Amino acid sequence: MLLSGPSLAPFMTAQAQQGKEITLTAIAAEPKDRWDALFADALKVLRERHPNMTINIDSRVLPYADTRKQILTSMAAKTPIDLISVDQIWLGEFAEGGFLSDLSKLAQTWNRSSEWYQTNWNGGIYNDKVYGIWAWTDVRAMWYWKDILNQNGVDPNSLKTWNGYISAAQKMEDAVKTNGTQAMHLVGASHSPDMWYPYLWMLGGEIVEQRNNHPQKGTYWFPTYNSTEGVKALEFLRDQVKAGIKPQRDHFWGQEFADKKFAVMLEGSWLLGHFNNSEWNKLDQRIGFIPAFPVPKEGDASATMMGGWILSIPETSSNKELAWELLTIMVQPDVLAPMLEKYGYLPTQKPIGEGVYSKQLNDTIPYYKDMISMIGIGHSRPSIPEYPQLADNIRQAIDEVYLGLKEPKQALDDAAKESANVLGWS
Amino acid sequence: MLKLERRIQRVQPYLLLAPSLLILTVFLLFPLIWNVYLSLHDVTFSNILKNWEDVGLMNFADLLSDPDFYSSLKVSVLFVGGSVALQFLVGLVIAVLLNQQVRGSNALLALLIIPWTVSAVITGFSFKFIFNDDFGILNYGLEQMGLEPVAWLSDPGVVVWTIVIANMWHGTPFTILFLSAGLLSINPIVYEAAIIDGASKIRGFFYITLPLLKPFILINIILITMWSVNFFDLILVMTNGGPLFASTTGSLFMYREAFEFGLLSKGSAVGIFLILVNLVLAYSYIKLFKGNKSAVEVKQA
Repeated sequence: MLLSGPSLAPFMTAQAQQGKEITLTAIAAEPKDRWDALFADALKVLRERHPNMTINIDSRVLPYADTRKQILTSMAAKTPIDLISVDQIWLGEFAEGGFLSDLSKLAQTWNRSSEWYQTNWNGGIYNDKVYGIWAWTDVRAMWYWKDILNQNGVDPNSLKTWNGYISAAQKMEDAVKTNGTQAMHLVGASHSPDMWYPYLWMLGGEIVEQRNNHPQKGTYWFPTYNSTEGVKALEFLRDQVKAGIKPQRDHFWGQEFADKKFAVMLEGSWLLGHFNNSEWNKLDQRIGFIPAFPVPKEGDASATMMGGWILSIPETSSNKELAWELLTIMVQPDVLAPMLEKYGYLPTQKPIGEGVYSKQLNDTIPYYKDMISMIGIGHSRPSIPEYPQLADNIRQAIDEVYLGLKEPKQALDDAAKESANVLGWS
Repeated sequence: MLKLERRIQRVQPYLLLAPSLLILTVFLLFPLIWNVYLSLHDVTFSNILKNWEDVGLMNFADLLSDPDFYSSLKVSVLFVGGSVALQFLVGLVIAVLLNQQVRGSNALLALLIIPWTVSAVITGFSFKFIFNDDFGILNYGLEQMGLEPVAWLSDPGVVVWTIVIANMWHGTPFTILFLSAGLLSINPIVYEAAIIDGASKIRGFFYITLPLLKPFILINIILITMWSVNFFDLILVMTNGGPLFASTTGSLFMYREAFEFGLLSKGSAVGIFLILVNLVLAYSYIKLFKGNKSAVEVKQA
């Protein structure tokens, strides 16, 4: 492997490390089981490739909210860490800060980029450089309890449109209350923008767009989420609240649906993980799935948000070559596919999504084909360093509308003004 | 020889003080100076490994033009005022009752200390579930009594009082413990003399207990005020400052600016501001304390 440049020096040391004991350190986000399984399988392959080396992995799996802070503080303190899991929205911030290794040359030599779905490959790129490999993804979609809808005479197809969704909520609300169940789930937590973006995207709106004449940067991102599309999308959330759907401050990521606290829930594909694997083969008899967010009217195209995890190598890694080797093993179809199958995650690469592994995943994961079909309407959030502040501005606008303090247009305009300041447009 | 002894005697106090001074310098003075340095530069997560631009007082100017900062100060005043008032009043009443030589009062005191020993994070999680709008036990109780449930954590007008209640539960045991120690220091002869002179228990409380307890009360108030100003973990867990910044105190604002948004310099500027607030409050209390100390001494004389 021929590489040049002083910052890439650690990439060239693996051969020299033959015979040594090496511990690769990693920071990843919960849940822990998936990482334990993936690290164990990948380490087995790595050890087989380097029989003269004693290789171990020391991984720290942290709650989602702590992962970003822990990674940032470790990077800022120049703590040597070899592998990290990066949420797609953090990539820009981490890359801009100089925390991540540029993997462009390695990725080029690796030559697997064409096997990734384009959106997912692009998710690991910042300023035309590869900083990470998107390992797996998830999509948000609509889940419902068939028996509850049946008992209340609600046709699941009616949930597909905005009006139908609200009518169904009103129809079910009083009837389900007696069982301690609510009709529809609406996120009112700190990440509520994530459940608003699909409505913005399906109407053709964008969170930000590049514009010229930035005072310092020439061309830079400008907030456009307060467009007509954004306002219309937020009006739909307001209408849900007016119809009696209560924004939930606590979000248990699908556990509340599995506990039958809600009849209908827009939730990620990870929701399946709240059911035992042994139940999966008959789950479709009890739970329905609509691979879409409700649309304004029948025939309109829907949209969804894609999440998942990107694997990156910090600039501080002292074993970059070995870390890269571990990373590439972790995303090898034969290593990754069993983990995806076990936990119900979606692939970012075609050999798993469409190749020989897809049949197995399709046989195991309920509604797998429907979920995969959503990748085509999947969007990702901007990975720019200022994103956390922008998301907070949008959250404030959503909260103001939920609480009836402002109309959607006013709330979004005020938020966009703040976002423009954050992005340096004033 | 005598000269050497004198020299050792002169240096000895400094040598004895050196370990404490070293600890104070490393863990107090250096972070403080570093914080000031950060607040005068432009440091964010995005440029922390690059050159830090010297921006003078820009972060403070930025802070003073941020409406969310003023909102956090308003919340801080309500939170600190409410927490101190409730912790002190409830703590004082319980401490006085425990001081009545009742059987089992020592065991009760030990039990009452438990909330203070529980970490604020655990307290936060517990109260988050107690006050949950939908399945919290408090709203369940209200509904059982035929009352309307309260949006404890999602109503911007209510949420600050919810966190004050949680903080009161967490912090009051310290006041109970501290004032109980103060009550034990009062000589019972003073009360006996008052009873002989015909003073009732209530008059005894206002004219003997409170004046003699004042030094303890003031130190207690200084401490619980400063702790409340700096307190943020319980709030972070219970509400994360929401809804709509209605429970974002100054300390939580500092944390969010620095660690959620990566604006380390702006976060440091908020930190400096909070240090100044603490210093002003502590100075005011000390001035008050000195005045009261002499008054008590006069009374005792």
